[in-house]
Amino acid sequence: MTEQEFTHFYNNNIDKVFRFIYFRVDRIEIAQDLTAQAFLKCWQTNKDYLVSRSARNNDNSKMAIKNPQAFVYRIARNQIIDFYRQKNKTPISLEELKEKGIEIPQKSFVFKIELSFEMENLKKVLQRIKPTYSEVIIWHYVDNLSTKEIAQILDKNENNVRVLLHRALETLKKEVNKEV
Amino acid sequence: MLEKDLIEQLNKFQEIKPNKDWTHWLLSNILLKSHQEIIIKPRVKLVSFSFIHQYQKALVSAAFVVLFVSTFAFAQTTLPGNLLYPVKTLTQITRLFLTPKDYKPVIRLEIAKARLSDMAKITDQEQAIALMSQNIQKDLQTIPQELKNIQKKQKTLEISQQVQSESKDLTNMISKTQLQPQDKETLDKTAKDTQAQVLALIIDTQEEINQCPTSFQNQLTDLQKYFTDNVQTLVQWPIDDITKVRTFLGDIGNDVKAGNCLEAMVKIDSINQILQIHSLDIKVETSTPEN
Repeated sequence: MTEQEFTHFYNNNIDKVFRFIYFRVDRIEIAQDLTAQAFLKCWQTNKDYLVSRSARNNDNSKMAIKNPQAFVYRIARNQIIDFYRQKNKTPISLEELKEKGIEIPQKSFVFKIELSFEMENLKKVLQRIKPTYSEVIIWHYVDNLSTKEIAQILDKNENNVRVLLHRALETLKKEVNKEV
Repeated sequence: MLEKDLIEQLNKFQEIKPNKDWTHWLLSNILLKSHQEIIIKPRVKLVSFSFIHQYQKALVSAAFVVLFVSTFAFAQTTLPGNLLYPVKTLTQITRLFLTPKDYKPVIRLEIAKARLSDMAKITDQEQAIALMSQNIQKDLQTIPQELKNIQKKQKTLEISQQVQSESKDLTNMISKTQLQPQDKETLDKTAKDTQAQVLALIIDTQEEINQCPTSFQNQLTDLQKYFTDNVQTLVQWPIDDITKVRTFLGDIGNDVKAGNCLEAMVKIDSINQILQIHSLDIKVETSTPEN
């Protein structure tokens, strides 16, 4: 993936990945940090491959990323899991972010997401249901990912994803109706 | 709530988007960082691992060459009886093989002297010494023959004088060896024979060189007479031979102008050979320096 291709991929996916993470962590700053780390890791992996190729050595340990979208979502998922695992221990420090390659901006990018009451409720229900269900619902119904794309992220076959989606939607509907 | 309504509401979540300034900043930050590293990283790799990996074959070959050269170099210091002495002998043979034909007598003498020197340093290798003595004798006997085979007389004289100069200490060297008295005497006799033959060759060659102008003039006169008397026969000659003769005559003229009589004589010999090929009755007087 060249720099141009990565830029194109980034522009097509930054909103989706951010949204996916935001739904799971429910904090804009954390979602920004985790999104930044996911894309950085994706580019670094790709870059390592480019470097090993340009060095003309026989280092085959660096593989090209075949499906960048699935790759970045997998990283995002792992980041979220790590975030919850470490949440009760220590918060992510600025130094730690710096070490991971994220330069701390001088300018503040803090912003607010304002949702209607109804939407806020739906978001809370989404956060309450089983993580796998909320993930597939966000991917399919919010980010418009196909069942094939979701199958690639989860490393499952499409039929399993369809079943999972059906169950997830049923669960969400039940939970929403409970609220009403 | 119906499934359709639920999906519609979920779609509305697409309005959730990160700050555009932040997304631009993040992209430029990631790419800037990668630019810095992508330039640096290959350099590190080249210095550390990939360099060795890439040139592995060349390095292994170079190591073998170094080992090979070191063995040869070390072998030059060995004496008969040492495991590496055959390598030294092989090096001497190779050196002799690679030397131009005219200079072989000089190198052969140098090798014989080196072997005599080795023989003087050992006492407990009687068989090896005896074998070396035989080889030195053969070498010494070959030297006069090789000198005679040199084509150009001037070169013969020059090389012979060099051999004569370098063979002066042969007797002294032989006396220092640990050979049996009888073998020592035989080897010394061979060395003296060689010196005598070389001296005789120097005197003969010097004489031929001194007589060259007279001999050359006679042969040239004979050639002129032949060509004057047999102009009609020359018409039957192939054009190639006529061209060769013309070239030789041109070269002879140049050699005479340069005072190089011996070179001119060699070319007259070549013309004589062409005449013989054409089975001519008239034979040019062959009072050449060789005869």
